[in-house]
Amino acid sequence: MNPQHLNASSLKSRFTRRFLRALTKINAQKPISSSSPREIFQRYGRIKAAADKSMANSVRSRRTWSRAMLWKLRSRSYRQASSGRRSAVKTSTTTSHQAIRKKTNHEKENKPTKTGEDQVGFVVQADELRELVPGGEAMDLCNLLDETAHYIKCLTTQVQVMKKIVDFYSL
Amino acid sequence: MDPPLINELHFSAANPSAYGLAEIWPFPINPGSDPNVATAGGLGFRMGNLGGFGDTSGHRDGSMEESTVTEQSVGYGAGTKRKDLSSEDESSKIVSTTTSANELNDSNGKRMKMLGTKNENAGSKAKVEANSAAGSKPGQNSKPAEPPKQDYIHVRARRGQATDSHSLAEKARREKISERMKILQDLVPGCNKIIGKALVLDEIINYIQSLHRQVEFLSMKLEAVNSRMNMNPSIEGFHSKDLGSQPFDVAGMIFGSQTAREYAQGSQPEWLQMHVIGTFKRAT
Repeated sequence: MNPQHLNASSLKSRFTRRFLRALTKINAQKPISSSSPREIFQRYGRIKAAADKSMANSVRSRRTWSRAMLWKLRSRSYRQASSGRRSAVKTSTTTSHQAIRKKTNHEKENKPTKTGEDQVGFVVQADELRELVPGGEAMDLCNLLDETAHYIKCLTTQVQVMKKIVDFYSL
Repeated sequence: MDPPLINELHFSAANPSAYGLAEIWPFPINPGSDPNVATAGGLGFRMGNLGGFGDTSGHRDGSMEESTVTEQSVGYGAGTKRKDLSSEDESSKIVSTTTSANELNDSNGKRMKMLGTKNENAGSKAKVEANSAAGSKPGQNSKPAEPPKQDYIHVRARRGQATDSHSLAEKARREKISERMKILQDLVPGCNKIIGKALVLDEIINYIQSLHRQVEFLSMKLEAVNSRMNMNPSIEGFHSKDLGSQPFDVAGMIFGSQTAREYAQGSQPEWLQMHVIGTFKRAT
C-alpha cells in the first residue's frame, strides 16, 4: 500500500513531526518504574503540554492565539523552573511577560465599552469564546471570529493526529 | 343664574366666529379695577380662542356645539362669579365656570339649578381641555401647505439605504462579521441548520469545549500507551531512531493507517515492527 503523500509543509505534517519528536523525548526522559497517580498525572500534563506546544509552534507567531498559547506555556514552565531553582534571571523574564500581560489587560478594559454597543444580543457568547480561545481577551469580535476559525481548524488537526497515534500505538 | 344676568350676557358668542374680546365681552375691561372682570376677561378670551378653533374645523360640528355651549357657560359663569368670588381662588375659577357649564348642559331648555360636584368639574374640565387640544390640532391642520419654521427638513432614511458614514462603516463591519460566521458554520459540523447568530455561537462554543476534552482524553490515553510501550524498550528505541530520519514517511505511515486496521487481530509488537520496517523500506 502506498502511504498517502501529503503536502510536506501542511499543518498536519508539521504538527505530526513536532509532536512525535516531543513524544519520543518524553519517552526517553521518564523512568519506567513510576506508576503512582501523581506521576501519572504529571506525565499526562507533560504530554498535553507537548501537544499544545507543538501545535502552537507549527503555527509559529502568525496567529494571535498561537502567540498567546506559547506565552502561556512558556510562563508556566518558567514558573515551574523558578520555583525549583529560584534564579533571578527567570523571574526577570516572568516580569517582562507580566508587563506584556498587563498591556493586553489594559486593552481589554478599553474594548468592552466600545464593543458592547456594537454587538447585538450575543455579548455573552462572545465573552465565552474569549475565555475558550487563548489570547481572545484583547480582540474585537471580528478578529475573534477569525482566530476562532483557525483555532478550530488546528484543534481538529491535533485531535486527528493524536487519535491516529494512539490507535497506531495501541495496536 | 338670574335671568337678567343671562340676558345681559347674551352676546353673540353663539356665533363662534367672534374673535375679539371686545366683541365677546360687552362689559368694559379694566384690569386694575376688578379682579372679577380681569378673570372674566381672561376667561372670555380663552373662550374666544375656543370659538376660533371651533370655527376653522368646519367638519367638527359636535365640537362646535360644545364650544358654543361652553362659551355661553363660561360667559355665564363669569357673570355669576362676582357673587362668590371671595371664596374661590384663581385656579378654581375655571372649575366654577365648568360647573355652571354642566348646569347649563344638564338643563338645556330646562330650569337652571345650582348643582355641581367636583367630579363633574373634573370631567367637564377635561372636556374643555380635550376640546382645546382637539381644537389646536385643526388649528395646525389649517396650515397644511406651510412648512414648519426650521432651516432643514429632517427626513428619515429608508432601511438599508443609509448614507451616513457611521452607519456605512457599521454596515461593512456587520457584513464582515456575518461572513466570518458563515466560515465558522462550515467548519463546525451540524451548524448549517441553525439559524441565528447566538445559537450558532453556542454551537461553536460547545464544539471547542468538546475538542478540548478530546485532546485531554487522548493525551491521557497516550500517556497510558506510552507507559505500556516503555515496558518494551525495543520498539521505542526503534521509533526514535527512525523518526528523525524519515519524518515524512512517519506522517504518511500514520495517516495511511488503514493498512494497520487490516492487521487488527494482531496486537503484538512484532507486527508493529514489521509494519514500520516495511514502510520505511518502501520509502528508501
